[in-house]
Amino acid sequence: MTADAISLPLTIRSGPANWWHSLSAMLRWQLTSMRLLLPLLIVVQMLVAAGFSIGIGLFFEDLTATAALYLGTGAAIITLIIVGLVVAPQLIAAEKEEGTYDFSWSLPVPRSASVAAWLALSAIISIPSMVMALIIASWHFDIRFVLSWSIIPAVLLTLVCGTMIGYAMAHAIDQPSLTQLLTQVVAFGVLGFTPITYPLENLPPWLQSVHQVLPFYHMGVIVRAGLTVGIVEELWLSYMVVLAWTLAAIAVTAFVLGRRK
Amino acid sequence: MTTAALETPLRRGTGYWWASYVMMTRWVLTQQRVLFIGVVFGQIVMGIGAAFMYKFYLGSLDPISAMYLVTGIPALSLIPVGFVLVPILVVQEKTRGTYDFTWSLPVPRLAPVAATFTVFTAIALPIAFASTILAAWQFDVTLIVSWTVIPFALLSSLMATSVGYGMAMAIPEPRVTTLVTNVIIFVVLLFSPIVIPIERFPDWLATLQRVLPFYHMANLIRSGLSEDLTTDVGASLAILLAWTVVGWSLVIRIVTRRG
Repeated sequence: MTADAISLPLTIRSGPANWWHSLSAMLRWQLTSMRLLLPLLIVVQMLVAAGFSIGIGLFFEDLTATAALYLGTGAAIITLIIVGLVVAPQLIAAEKEEGTYDFSWSLPVPRSASVAAWLALSAIISIPSMVMALIIASWHFDIRFVLSWSIIPAVLLTLVCGTMIGYAMAHAIDQPSLTQLLTQVVAFGVLGFTPITYPLENLPPWLQSVHQVLPFYHMGVIVRAGLTVGIVEELWLSYMVVLAWTLAAIAVTAFVLGRRK
Repeated sequence: MTTAALETPLRRGTGYWWASYVMMTRWVLTQQRVLFIGVVFGQIVMGIGAAFMYKFYLGSLDPISAMYLVTGIPALSLIPVGFVLVPILVVQEKTRGTYDFTWSLPVPRLAPVAATFTVFTAIALPIAFASTILAAWQFDVTLIVSWTVIPFALLSSLMATSVGYGMAMAIPEPRVTTLVTNVIIFVVLLFSPIVIPIERFPDWLATLQRVLPFYHMANLIRSGLSEDLTTDVGASLAILLAWTVVGWSLVIRIVTRRG
């Protein structure tokens, strides 16, 4: 086995340039494979975003200014989370069901580049919807948002955290139908039982404690702090909780994707 | 030629249809055990869960609102079964290929469809009522139950499963079906007057909701659980029957075509 007998035709596939190239290739691949579904998905997300605050607003006999502010900002925050947490796992489950999943992983790209491409895709779908939700809420409820610089890290961290939790879940669970079911439960839990669109005090004490540990309430806190003044407290704690969940989700993803079959 | 034809038993008639239907019911039951756990879970979550969800959003409830909330629960609990779980079942069968297998069985084509409806209704109705009773106790509401609630709930369940089945059969792309079920859940939870009076909605939305089946399911079942809360029960009945016919015609059109 002499060295020149092998390895000559192979170029080395490593380094930042290759990673970057893989990322853009994977993003193009995902965008192309979803070309029919993507516009529909974006439109649906925008409708959900626009409709959410208006819809829930209908249930109130008279809506107070604070309730309206919670609804308006909460709708935008939920839109940001729901794509990565619910829609993305459903897409992965569909890939597993169809068999394209294994094909995707056989592509010669670093797995971290695939993950990064997935995050970019999630941002492409969810950020326009979030902006849409804010515009609609501001018009419908006559809310004036006070934007601060912290909106940028808050949105990014929330997006990465939500997407990575969904991603870890979809990859770790082998059975696609279980993923489908779980995403429905998560969607329902986030929409209904998470104090993002209403104050924490509306919940019974035990559920309040649960939300101190889960990331969703804290995601609401950090993003809302970038949009308004006055209704947010203990910001750093919330940042730490969301960050911890992000790291945990990345660790699970790394473990699941790194193992060999 | 003639003897061979005589030895083959006749595959038609009511007796044959009934036998096929019973066999297919058993087949659906054994095939979908895991999914039924999902049905039970989804129903409990949507039924009782949604009641609490609205309470959290609203902060507090007066007795009339509580009455509306509790009497809306049967509809809330039946909707996900017909409009979400039944389509998921069809999507799964399509992607796995069991769909084609089922259609290749020597039974009348509507027997497996009828079997699916029966199984889902048999599971969905008892849980819907258990959730309602539980909610009535939790929110301290006294229900005024009439016998009409049973046929009304049966019709609602039949309508929901028919439309869900027809829709999932008619849409060729499974991912689109999943997306549509998500949209339905969203519309039902946020834009449907199921747990609140329809008068609270803006006119255009109320008009739209008088065409869609969700409000009518709630209105019809509510009329069997309370007094003085519902109007136009006859109209709701007619519209639900119309939706059932739409669902069945979709199913019949697709299952009876060849090729």
